[in-house]
Amino acid sequence: MKLSALPFVSAVLESGADDRIYDGLLLTGPVVILLIAVLETTRTRFLSGVAKALAIAYVTAFVAYVLYRGVRGE
Amino acid sequence: MNGTTATIGRDVGRILEALGGLMIVSIVVPLVWGEWFGVLAFGVSALVPLAVGYGLHRRFAEADSPSRLHGMVVAATGWLFVGVFGSVPFLLVAWGVHLGLPTGLEGTPTLSAFRDPLNAVFESMSGFTGTGLTMTDNEEVLPRTLQWWRTFSEWIGGVGVIVLTTAILARPGSGSLTLYESEARSEKIHPSIVSTVRTIWWIFILFTFVSILALFAAGMPIWGAINHAMTGLATGGFSITDNSIATYDSALIDAVLIPIMLLGSIAFPVHYLILQGDLRNIYEDLQTRWVFIYMSLGSALLWAFLYVGPYDSPLSALRYGGFQFVSAATCTGFQTAVDATNVALGAWPAQAQLLVAFGMFVGGAAGSTVGGIKLIRGLTLIKGIRYQIGDVFYPDSAVRRLDIDDRRLTEAEANREFVEAAIIAVLWTTFLVVGTVLLLVILPAEEFSLANAFFEVASAQGNVGLSSGITGPESLPTLGKISFLGHMWIGRLEIIPVLVAARTLLSRGGMYQ
Repeated sequence: MKLSALPFVSAVLESGADDRIYDGLLLTGPVVILLIAVLETTRTRFLSGVAKALAIAYVTAFVAYVLYRGVRGE
Repeated sequence: MNGTTATIGRDVGRILEALGGLMIVSIVVPLVWGEWFGVLAFGVSALVPLAVGYGLHRRFAEADSPSRLHGMVVAATGWLFVGVFGSVPFLLVAWGVHLGLPTGLEGTPTLSAFRDPLNAVFESMSGFTGTGLTMTDNEEVLPRTLQWWRTFSEWIGGVGVIVLTTAILARPGSGSLTLYESEARSEKIHPSIVSTVRTIWWIFILFTFVSILALFAAGMPIWGAINHAMTGLATGGFSITDNSIATYDSALIDAVLIPIMLLGSIAFPVHYLILQGDLRNIYEDLQTRWVFIYMSLGSALLWAFLYVGPYDSPLSALRYGGFQFVSAATCTGFQTAVDATNVALGAWPAQAQLLVAFGMFVGGAAGSTVGGIKLIRGLTLIKGIRYQIGDVFYPDSAVRRLDIDDRRLTEAEANREFVEAAIIAVLWTTFLVVGTVLLLVILPAEEFSLANAFFEVASAQGNVGLSSGITGPESLPTLGKISFLGHMWIGRLEIIPVLVAARTLLSRGGMYQ
């Protein structure tokens, strides 16, 4: 079964950004936030570091992709 | 039953159904936090708007599509009902705790303030209109259920309840466009209005995720990051801490919040183009360019006022002045200037307070989540005045054009746009002055100055939420609360729809002929 056939995923792909990366960020956003919330409840230094790294990676991916499209578009 | 009532009843019913749906969705939060009484409160609260909405929707299912008049009345009444019905979770939780029901929640003076229906409606209306003035003394002690409901109401209200309803119902045709335009929006991203609102939502949701994770990376705990990212992006300004953003006392968090608030003050069509790779819109679009120019100039001037005033260090003046001007001009209302860490806004010199009030008056870009008269109207007024004065220097036969953004307007078009901007500015100023005078009459003269009162009314009407210390469950008299409800309501809808609804109601009641 294809991932895009799942009800929620198909709804996002249908009314979303028509762009694989933005759609991917839309779909993974809540998962990342949930994962961070779970990691934070453990209160261990290492897992807090992992949580922070996940957040930084997500934001960096978004900013880098917007800039990439901007540079490519011009 | 005539056609007007049917059309308005059906569309208001749909808005109420959407509100009920939001309450049902919110049940997840008390479930996660183990606040079972919150589950009950949201469930019961949802029943009322769902039942009323479903009844109206079903009863008038065959009504005609809304005209411009209908659209305005739907927007005005819909927003009023959303404010009223949105207060039910506050009332239920506060009364549940007060009556000693086994809620598992702690009773606090902050929570008990919501036993007063006026305070609950005030909080709800402040949330949905994205204002952020609050009836709580200490947000930190509120149950997570209510912290979430305040945040969620601002997040939804930032984009608009009608935009939400249109996106969910996906009703094609001119009716959706009419309603969309009645909610202080006119910009279209795609030819279809349903596609436009769906695009607005995916952009808004994506920005919300990015903002949450950026705030968390900057050091804000995840629950705070979720709430402040949502209210910051929606330029609402509710906080879950007692001293708003000052609680964190972190320059990095302040610095991350500034671009989040700026994102909220830029029009969605421009966001769309930028996300598609057209970065030139940052400086080519008139409003977006002026968002940056205006924020920079305002922050610099405020920095100067504060540096020669209450702050001894230029860096402190820059940090607090820059943040507060952006917070005001984007109509967010986050506060870093409080007595706990530096100097409270209400204690700033009058010229600094009035400059912040000016920021709240103008606001950001039309088509974004901000309040105020909007930058495009300010720019139209300035260009229009220059155009009218310049007219004297040309012969009557001269053919003149007015350039606004990329548009070249004929004399008739220029006059029409100038008059529209002038009407909004005049109405805005009139309500601001009337509200200030009323507040001065009802407040104790020795406690608050004219600058304080003007600031507070500008904050309510601009849907900002910064406070000079007047707003609170005890400090603001009942008449002041009712007046502020009106200011928030007209401010969110840009006045005209509320006046049209009032005239329609009075005219039907035989009071206005």
